[in-house]
Amino acid sequence: MVSGRRKRLDLTTPGLLGLPLAWLVVFFIVPIGIVGAYSLDVFSIYPGKHPVTWSGWDDFFHSAIYLKLFWKSVRLSLLVSVIVVLLAYPVAYFLALSGTKRKYVLLLILIAPFLTSYLLRVLAWKVILGSNGVLNSFLFWTGVRSHDDPISQLLYSKFAVVLVLIYVWLPFVALPIFVSLESLDRRLLEAATDLGATRWQAFLRVTLPLSAPGIIAAFLFVFIPTVGEFVTPSLVGGTSGYMYGNQISDLFSTGFPDWRTGSVLALFLLAVVAVLTGVFSRFLGMRQPTA
Amino acid sequence: MEGEELMERRVSREDFLKLAAAAGGAGLLASRAGAADAALARLAAESGRLQVMDWAGYEVKPLWAQYLKKYPGQKPKFTFMTNEANAFAKLRAGVRPDVFRPYVGYVRDFAESGFVQPWDPKLITNLKYLNPVMVKAGQYNGKQYGIPSDWGFDAILYRTDKVHPKQKSWSLLFDKRYGGKIAWYDDLSALVWAGYYLGFKRPYNQSDDELKRSQKLLISKKKLVRMFWSSETDMNNAFASGDLWIAYAWPNDWVTMKAKGLKVQYMHPREGPLSWVGMLMLGKGSPRPQHAHAYADAWSSVQSASWLENNYGYGAANLKARPKSSDLLRVLKLTDPNAVREPNAHIDRYVPRRAVYARLWEEVKAA
Amino acid sequence: MDAALSKNGRRGLRGLFGLVVVFLYAPIAILLLFSFNDSVLPSFPLSGFTLTWYRQFVTDPDLIGALETSAIIAAISSVGAVILGTLASIALVRRRFRGKSAASALLLSPLVVPYVVLGISLLLLFHAVGVPRTILTVIIGHIVISLPYTLLVLIPRLEQIDVGLEEAAYDLGARPLDTFRLITFPLILPAIVSAFLISFTTSFDEYAVASFVVGTRVTFPLYLYGALRFPSRLPEVLAVAVVVMTVSLLVVIGAEIGRRVAERRLGSLAG
Repeated sequence: MVSGRRKRLDLTTPGLLGLPLAWLVVFFIVPIGIVGAYSLDVFSIYPGKHPVTWSGWDDFFHSAIYLKLFWKSVRLSLLVSVIVVLLAYPVAYFLALSGTKRKYVLLLILIAPFLTSYLLRVLAWKVILGSNGVLNSFLFWTGVRSHDDPISQLLYSKFAVVLVLIYVWLPFVALPIFVSLESLDRRLLEAATDLGATRWQAFLRVTLPLSAPGIIAAFLFVFIPTVGEFVTPSLVGGTSGYMYGNQISDLFSTGFPDWRTGSVLALFLLAVVAVLTGVFSRFLGMRQPTA
Repeated sequence: MEGEELMERRVSREDFLKLAAAAGGAGLLASRAGAADAALARLAAESGRLQVMDWAGYEVKPLWAQYLKKYPGQKPKFTFMTNEANAFAKLRAGVRPDVFRPYVGYVRDFAESGFVQPWDPKLITNLKYLNPVMVKAGQYNGKQYGIPSDWGFDAILYRTDKVHPKQKSWSLLFDKRYGGKIAWYDDLSALVWAGYYLGFKRPYNQSDDELKRSQKLLISKKKLVRMFWSSETDMNNAFASGDLWIAYAWPNDWVTMKAKGLKVQYMHPREGPLSWVGMLMLGKGSPRPQHAHAYADAWSSVQSASWLENNYGYGAANLKARPKSSDLLRVLKLTDPNAVREPNAHIDRYVPRRAVYARLWEEVKAA
Repeated sequence: MDAALSKNGRRGLRGLFGLVVVFLYAPIAILLLFSFNDSVLPSFPLSGFTLTWYRQFVTDPDLIGALETSAIIAAISSVGAVILGTLASIALVRRRFRGKSAASALLLSPLVVPYVVLGISLLLLFHAVGVPRTILTVIIGHIVISLPYTLLVLIPRLEQIDVGLEEAAYDLGARPLDTFRLITFPLILPAIVSAFLISFTTSFDEYAVASFVVGTRVTFPLYLYGALRFPSRLPEVLAVAVVVMTVSLLVVIGAEIGRRVAERRLGSLAG
């Protein structure tokens, strides 16, 4: 009797899982399949018969323009992710290991901006960076720069995109690093210094390697969404800050519609993201729930 | 307000049931746009308000005041389109306006799309006062698909205190001396003005070779361009704040910048500016054709036309309207009904290979 | 000696922490400042104090309408996501079955899919089936997005609760539904509330997917995005920004504190 009860009657499992899984299949898996269909011309926005064709994919790989744009987005994302992690690590280290009494409160203060509106935070920078924006007008007002000579390359540039994305992600990224540093056993550090290591050596040999999972998780948390980012570039990027996500968005909604090319681009992005996620999944904290 | 919300909720429930059936697999292929059409038409018919999809800024009352004289108290309901591609996307998604406004280059595209039906010219009393060149441009296969309303040019706006063009040419849009201060319009028409600059015979219908050269020119000059604008006010903001000194722009932008006290000039390039005419179109299956015709008639009235000219600096199709400012008359050449077409300007027209142009323009943006 | 940080190290890092906090909050402070500034353009020098923009935003029907629309969408989609998330997390934590890792991977996968891909895929789905875009389609998309977040909150909490409690209930003859209602649900309630709030704030602020699947009724982020292009509306937008941010900050901080307090109190029961 006891053993039967311990292994809960599995007949209820489909009942429990059925609805959530079905929802995702219908509204997540199937739509992605439809994107695939559009990429192969199985479906098309143009009415009438049309053969299934790989030419959408062919053009994508042979045109070099889209792959270059993708690579540009990857580079920008790498830049953002590296800087964010470099900034977040010392901050998380301070919170986790300096023994400050209110570390959770401080952590909450750090993370809170991330939980407010993304668009509004981008808006704030649009207001700050313009040629007559807050920053430049402040410089005029204090006489540092003359009215005719604002710092103009702040807005509508790659710089603006990188800056804003760093600003958006920094609070969030500190969290996984904090978690992995907090679970560090301080006795290991003390042992290292007892054995004669300097603090630096202890850091390099003990702390850093043990916090590596947190660092990698943090890096991926920023990198993966940023590659497909299109909202920030559309608001502050101008022509030079134009990214891969913008192209996809343009092909579907703002520009002249070309759903086939757009679907190819979207699936390619998805494939890259899926590979990255699969390879690094153990760092992303998506562990199996135990039971 | 409340009534509409109730209706929207009612439609939502019906659509939810439809969705549920679809999810069950049963209705996956059976559900047709027709059912969606009916649902939306029901919504619209019950509310009795004219559904107008228009460009931002055209929803203001003085532009359609005459409509309220005929149907007092029945304000139209406005949604917005940002360009024709956007309008197409919305139409395909099931939005069914009674009236919307593409521009003259798209008359044939929309006429053939199945989303519009021709107007009955007899119901537009002001039609006889409208510029015949423009009225003709709104016809396709002998039917009147578009009622011309506003018109203007695509040319170059620049600050006279910062910019000294070496010649009156489209080349100002890629003048090396002003790199980083230039804005282009985010539209495949870039390939057209590039074509005019390069001296091609028919820039609206270029050959593969010519398109390649146009695209190459655009890509090579892209680094001088600060932004591709799609929202006019975005560009105006940037221009007013000093982020831009040169922009591909419409006459209204010149009016707006002057009003802000900037020293600006609106230059027609010697290769010829592009010109456009707004074409009000009637949605197919509209349950309110009488209202729609009255709306188009209101737009065609002298009162509407005069207000448009005085406030937005755009020309109006009604030949009897005259702006108060002679400055405007001069810049817009409003005295000449032929100003809108060759040889004065290149009026937008049907682009047979529009999909190719679009694709090449997207590549310019991606490059 | 402190093995992790020297005195100077600590001072340096404290300084860095301070700088980062200033960097994070300065733009928000600037929004706050200029929302009271008596000028249409946010620039120095300041033009005087005014409450006009706040008054304008409260009386702007389009803006209020957009806020309402977003609130409705957020509320409904959060309820949906929490219900689905609760079902799924019970299955994943309390049941043993093959394919558990595949199921949990699928349920968590929307987290890593770029929103632009999610958005267009739903657009294509609705287009293929012939469903017009309304707030319903946005709600569907937001449930997909929020579901993984609810799992990330509910699963750890469920694991914390001792299975023995539920077993005891069964031993005493309770049916599964009663067990859930009387034992499990009260214990995971703080996590459910957290999950609801996370889903709510995610949906309320979501622009990318909504931009593809929204119909004629505009959500708050879409309204914002459009209003960014109208210079005369900018100060009003700043006023809204300040209010929305303040409210969400208070809600989030309050919710987090509340959750910890509640779980600590319930912790003694859960063992």
